[in-house]
Formats: sequence, C-alpha cells, structure tokens
Amino acid sequence: MATRVETTPAWQRGKVVSWLVTTDHKRIGILYIGTSLLCFVLSGAMAMVMRLQLAQANADVVSPDRYNELVTIHGTSMVFLVGVPILAGFANFLVPLMIGAADMAFPRLNAFSYWMFALGGAVLMLSFFANGGAAKAGWTSYPPLSTQTAGTGQDLWILSLHILTVSTVAGAVNFLVTIHNLRTRGMTWTRMPLFVWSIYVYSWLIMAVLPVLSAALTMLLLDRGLSVAGLDVSTSFFRPEDGGSAVLYQHAFWFFGHPEVYIIVLPAFGIISEVLPVFARKPIFGYKAIAFSTVAIGFFSMLVWAHHLFTVGLAIPLQSFFMVASMVIAVPTGMKIFNWLATLWRGNLAFDTPMLFALGFLSLFVIGGLTGIYLAAFPIDWQVHDTYFVVAHFHYTLLGGVVFAIFAGLFYWWPKMFGRLLGETLGKWQFWLLFAGFNITFFPQHFLGLDGMPRRVYTYANDEWETWNLVSTIGSWIMGVAILLFVVNVLRARKGPRVGNDPWQADTLEWYATSPPPPHNFDEVPYVTSARPLYDLRRRLREKRGETGAL
Amino acid sequence: MVFAVVSLVTALAAPGAFAQLAPVEPASPNAEGIRDSYLFVSIFVVAIFVLVEGLLIAFIWKYRRQKRARFDDGAQVHGATNLELVWTAGPVLVLAAIAAFVFVELPGIKNVPAAGASGDLEIRVTGRQFYWQYEYPNGVIAVDRMRAPAGVPVRLVVTAPDEDVIHSWWIPALGGKIDAIPGRVNETWFEASREGVFRGQCAELCGAEHARMLAEVEVLSRAAFAAWLEERRDEQTAGTSELGQELWEGVCAKCHGLAGEGGIARRIAGSTILQDPEAVEDIVRNGRRTMPAVGAGWTSEQIEALTTYLQESPPSGN
Repeated sequence: MATRVETTPAWQRGKVVSWLVTTDHKRIGILYIGTSLLCFVLSGAMAMVMRLQLAQANADVVSPDRYNELVTIHGTSMVFLVGVPILAGFANFLVPLMIGAADMAFPRLNAFSYWMFALGGAVLMLSFFANGGAAKAGWTSYPPLSTQTAGTGQDLWILSLHILTVSTVAGAVNFLVTIHNLRTRGMTWTRMPLFVWSIYVYSWLIMAVLPVLSAALTMLLLDRGLSVAGLDVSTSFFRPEDGGSAVLYQHAFWFFGHPEVYIIVLPAFGIISEVLPVFARKPIFGYKAIAFSTVAIGFFSMLVWAHHLFTVGLAIPLQSFFMVASMVIAVPTGMKIFNWLATLWRGNLAFDTPMLFALGFLSLFVIGGLTGIYLAAFPIDWQVHDTYFVVAHFHYTLLGGVVFAIFAGLFYWWPKMFGRLLGETLGKWQFWLLFAGFNITFFPQHFLGLDGMPRRVYTYANDEWETWNLVSTIGSWIMGVAILLFVVNVLRARKGPRVGNDPWQADTLEWYATSPPPPHNFDEVPYVTSARPLYDLRRRLREKRGETGAL
Repeated sequence: MVFAVVSLVTALAAPGAFAQLAPVEPASPNAEGIRDSYLFVSIFVVAIFVLVEGLLIAFIWKYRRQKRARFDDGAQVHGATNLELVWTAGPVLVLAAIAAFVFVELPGIKNVPAAGASGDLEIRVTGRQFYWQYEYPNGVIAVDRMRAPAGVPVRLVVTAPDEDVIHSWWIPALGGKIDAIPGRVNETWFEASREGVFRGQCAELCGAEHARMLAEVEVLSRAAFAAWLEERRDEQTAGTSELGQELWEGVCAKCHGLAGEGGIARRIAGSTILQDPEAVEDIVRNGRRTMPAVGAGWTSEQIEALTTYLQESPPSGN
C-alpha cells in the first residue's frame, strides 16, 4: 500500500487549530480523554468538599443547598462527563487501530460527537453560575423535587443531558458501523480484541436505552413548564397533583440508568481483558466465555431496572422478578472474574503500573459485586437502600472498578498515544496511595449505611457516625494526593524516554503501528489469523530466524 | 483489599469506635427477618470474598516473574470448558440458595401479624418538607416523635401530600424503609418487641433540609401508651396540649432555627407577624415566596395550637 500524501490546507496546520478541526480518531480520542480527565479532577474536588462537610457532625463548610448542588453535579458529571466519555475516548483511539482500520467509519460525525460532549460538559459545569445555582435534586433528579425546584439550574441540567445524549448516540452509531464494516482481512468476530467486543455491546446498549432517558427528560422539562414563542406548555406526566405519576419517572430513568452502569463498566472490563494477558504473558483464558458474558450482561442489564425501586411499594411478584433478574447478572460477571483469575494462573507476571491497576481493579470490583447481592435481595434492600451502604457499593464498582481500569488503560496505552511512557515510580506511588485512600474512604461507609446513615445528607445529628466519617474524609484526601501525582506524571511524561512500536510486547494490532501512529495508522496490516495477530507475527519471525525455545 | 482488612480489624478493636457489620439490632420481627437474611447472604459473601481474593493473592505470589526473562511466555492455555461450566453452575446454586432463603423469610417480613387479644393499631404517616406527621385513629396528631405500644402490631399507612415531594420512612430497628410518595399510599408495619426510643430519618432526598428530617418512635408499655393517647386526645380537644411546641420545633424551626434566629430561611424572631394568628395561618397554609405550604391541609386545631404557642412563647432569637 502506498504511503498517503497529506493534503491538509495550510490554515489547519497550526498547533492549536489542527486539534480544533481534527477528524482523526486518535486526536479525537485524546481530546475525549483529556476533557474527561479535567472533569474527573473537578468532580473529584467536589467530592472532597462534600467529605470535608461530613468530617464532623453539624459542620458548616457549605450550605445545605450548595451541598445538594455538589451531590448532584458530582454524580452527574462522574457518569456523563467522565465514565461514558473517557471510555468513548479509549474506544475512539483504539477501535480503528485494533481492527486494522485507517479511521472511524464517519470521521466528521466523530468530531461532532466530541464537540457536543464538550458543549454538554460546559453547560453542566457552568450551571453552578445559573440563577438559583446548579441542579440540586441528585443525579437521578426524581420529580416532584426536580419539578418543584425554582431557578434555571435544573433546566440546564436537562439541556446538558440532552446534548450529551446526542453526542453519545452519534458516537455509538459510529462504533457500530466501524466495527461491522472496517475490520481488516482475517479479523473475524472471534478474533476481535475483547475491548472491541465490549465497545460493540456498549454501543448497542446506548442505542437501546439512551432514547428512553431523552423521553423521560423531555417529559420532566415539560412538567417544569416551558414557554416557547408565547405558548406556555405545562404537562403533568410526573406531577401527582394533576394525576401524574412520580414513580413513572423512576421506571423510565432506571430503564436507562441501570444499563448505563454497564455502558460504563463493560469497556472497563474490556481494558482489563487486554491488560491482564499482556502482563501475564498468556492468552486470555476463555476468550469466547468472556465475549459471550459481555453480551449476556448487556442483555440482562435491561431487565433489572426496578431493583432501584424496591422501596416505592411495588407488588411483591414484581420485586421478586427483579431480584432474580439482578442475581442472574452476577453469573456472567462471575464468569469474567474467574476467567481473569485463570489468566494469571501459570503466567509470568510482571507488575508494571498498568498491571497493578488491573489487579487492583480485580480485588476491588469483587467487593462491589458481592455487596450487590445484598441489594438485589429486596427485603435486605428495604433496609440498606439509599444509605451509605449503597454509596460504598457503587463506588467499589465505579471508582474501585472503572477508575482503576481507566488508569490501567492510561498507563498501558499512553506510549501508543504519545510515544513516551508515563513514569513508573510515580505511577506505583499513585497506585498504592489510590488503593489505600480508596479503601479508607469507602470501606467504613458500609458500617455507616448499616447503622442508618442515609446518603445525600449534608450533615448528621448522630455523634456515633463521626469516627467513620472522619476516617472516610481522610481517605478521600489521600486519593486527592494520588490524583495529583498522576497530574505531575502527565506533565513530566512530555520529557520522558521515547519508546518503540510495542514496548509491552503485546498481542493486538494497535501495537503494530508506530507510537504514536501516523494519521492513516498503518502502511500495511498483517493478515489476522487469531485473536493475537502480533503474537503470531513474533512467532513467525522467530521461526524464520530458526530460533527455538521460549519467546 | 489489605486496607479493607485493616479497617475491618481496626473497627473491631478500636475502643469507642463501632463497626456495624450487619443491620442494627432489631426490635421488631420484620427487622429481624431482614437481619437474618443479611447474615445468611453474608456466609456466601465472605466465602466468595476469601476464595477470590485468596486465589488472586496466591497467583500473584506464585506466578510472579522471579528469575524468568521479562517477555518469557507463561503457559499458553486458552481455556477449559469444564472449568467454565463449574464457575457458571456454582454461582447459580449459591444464588438459588439465597433467593430461596429470602422467599422463606419474606412472609415474616412483609405480612402484618394477625391482631392479638389487645387488637392492633393503624397510624397514618405523612412525609412533608421537612417533618413527619402522625395521625392516630382517635384524631390525635403528633410530629416527628411517634408513640407506639410494645407487643402490638402497628400498621403504618405512609404517604405524602400531592403538592409535596417523595420522602422515605425508615426506623432501622423497626424494619425496612418504605417511600412516602405523593399520590400513592404505601403500607408497612412493626411490632415492637421492647420499650425504648428508636431513631431513624428520611431516606429519600427531599430538599435542602433532608438531613434534618429525623423521626423517632418511642415504644411504651401497652398501658402507658393507652393512657398517653387518651390524655393527648383530651388535651388536643381542649387546646392545652404540647402540639404547638411540637409543630414549632418539627415544622418551623428546621428552617428558621429553634429560637427563630434564622437558618436556611430568614430570621423570624421578633417578627410581628408571629403575633397575628390570621397572618400565620395564611403563610403556613399557602406558603410564601420560597417557603413551601408546610401547613396545607392542617386541621384548625393544629393551626390554633401553633398560633397559641407563638403568642405564649414567642421565639427569643438566640
């Protein structure tokens, strides 16, 4: 294949302008990741302020309204501006490279997705400056609280989520078309990297459930009242005083909301399935089982939403159904965990930073998964629902799980993105501080929840809760230090040593391209004969040289 | 994980610190059923935790690189169908056992026991921004602190007014929570096994003072409860009860401060409006500006109790 001639017009070549007008999937991926990391730092800082407020009983660090704004924007941002888009960023950078394509199927739609994300993020973050402050009804924004709150913060929250939904759906369409059509020669479905499998299911889930969120949010907006061109619209979908049902919103929200958890978790699983084999020097154990379990989790995630509604007074047969369906999800999730463990078995384990984060993920995600069993059993949920037990549970899955996987991915693919490694020493310090800080923050929250401390309270009257709250606050600031180390690491990496195409001796196609890859990715792509094309390539080279023994 | 264990151990050892490893000590059969279910699930949770984390640590130790070269191959094993079957079937059996246990415990948690010789009691619980209002069958009204008899099934009819928001009724020692939802009527129950005061608080974000929406149930002996209920009814009919003070503390003071000194809402101590019963009634029933209509639907006895209290002991302001 001939090298392409670059035909970029002169005005687009500037250092900044070239990033603003780019349609290159790699640059868009890096933009996604960078923007998400910025939002991660901001939303993390919000959490640290909340923890300060809760360090003592009856503290007065922030006002009750401000606290509720922080609760709402921290949660919304971590889900919509960090979890989903940072994984979309990884997917943007990696999917075309992993399947041997030159770019995404629709590069301009891809750029559109990113800029819509940036716009939606700006609307949400800047809503703190809105008349009446930001939204304060929680990331779930249940009516009637959310329909009654005065001020424009809640409306901007809805607007922001609408914009982000457009961005996410456009991205999902693009991934689906890309994965279906642009796989290189020989890359059958069962030779596709497991990360690509996870993005494939992620995309279908987005297509299936995001429209439901849009519908619910539009109804919420109309219930809040809307004046368009002199026409006043005010509906009562969720407002009980005019015959609406407040619980209807909860059904719609969680029909989206629970799959949303898996939209975030599945690609994180995908990252783990890429990192573990490389640092264990083994093929992934049970490739097909892991790919299948990804599809199974995606499917069942759409059948469990009402386990978030166990306390609204649903009929017992309904609660029973949703308990069993929620438990069913534990089976394919368990499959993954056991297959990952088996991948370590008889390996040649190297503990570089990406591996540390992947192993950290494994140890923490298990805890989040196990506490989920209590929540699925609905009578137990009647006791622990909406308490700090739940806060601990989902932070074990989303922070201990997803964020650890994201850092594994960042340390692993950073050399591919920028041609230089992140610092290993700083990386290891970051890992251990984050791991310690995380457990110190969130493990005691199980105790608090079991003792009766509800979530989303700006303070508490019970002195007995002070000890563990203080411990939790200290942990959160340790995590803050860990994240600071990462920022330092990123700044210093610009001067770090250059690396070749494949510093980890990995198995998937992205490592065949140069680091960083050229705009068109590959001059040529090797014919793919297994799920590990680069492993095969190294073996063939070795055989050609007549070498024997271990690779 | 290491720190999970460390904090667990610290929790058990540290003097003065508590480590709540299961739902609080139950004082009602439904709370007991939930706690039993929790402990049953914990057997499996702890076992799986030890198995998975144990294997993880063992593999990390056993298969670390040691003297092998950086990129030497590990065993090139691609999978094992039998193993896949085992770790699919195993969790299915565990989950089936858990679900079965839950269904066995469920009737004892969900169903209100039949009324015994001493009958039963139904209390209407209304969640409002930011207080709990209780109505007894004889018309007695109470705010935030509920009195109930020991050893008698108490049925709670839980709701919220149409114009309010969602709250969630929860006293951990007396059972699980149930949401108080505008336009919807839910039911729950308890049968207190001992006398004492049991605390809880609203468990669904309901606005600025959600954290101050506390509730408590004071369980009295049957005789003491019957006496209290009767006395309370007479007082409320005569207008001599403590209801006025209860309303001030439960309804007004959460936002305006106990002495009217101001909180998230403005200072009202010294305001002449407080001395004008009609003006107070208007504001309380209809709300004003950002203040919700906290007293919409109140009986005239409630209004009178509050206005009388305000006239007799006006908030001092500090």
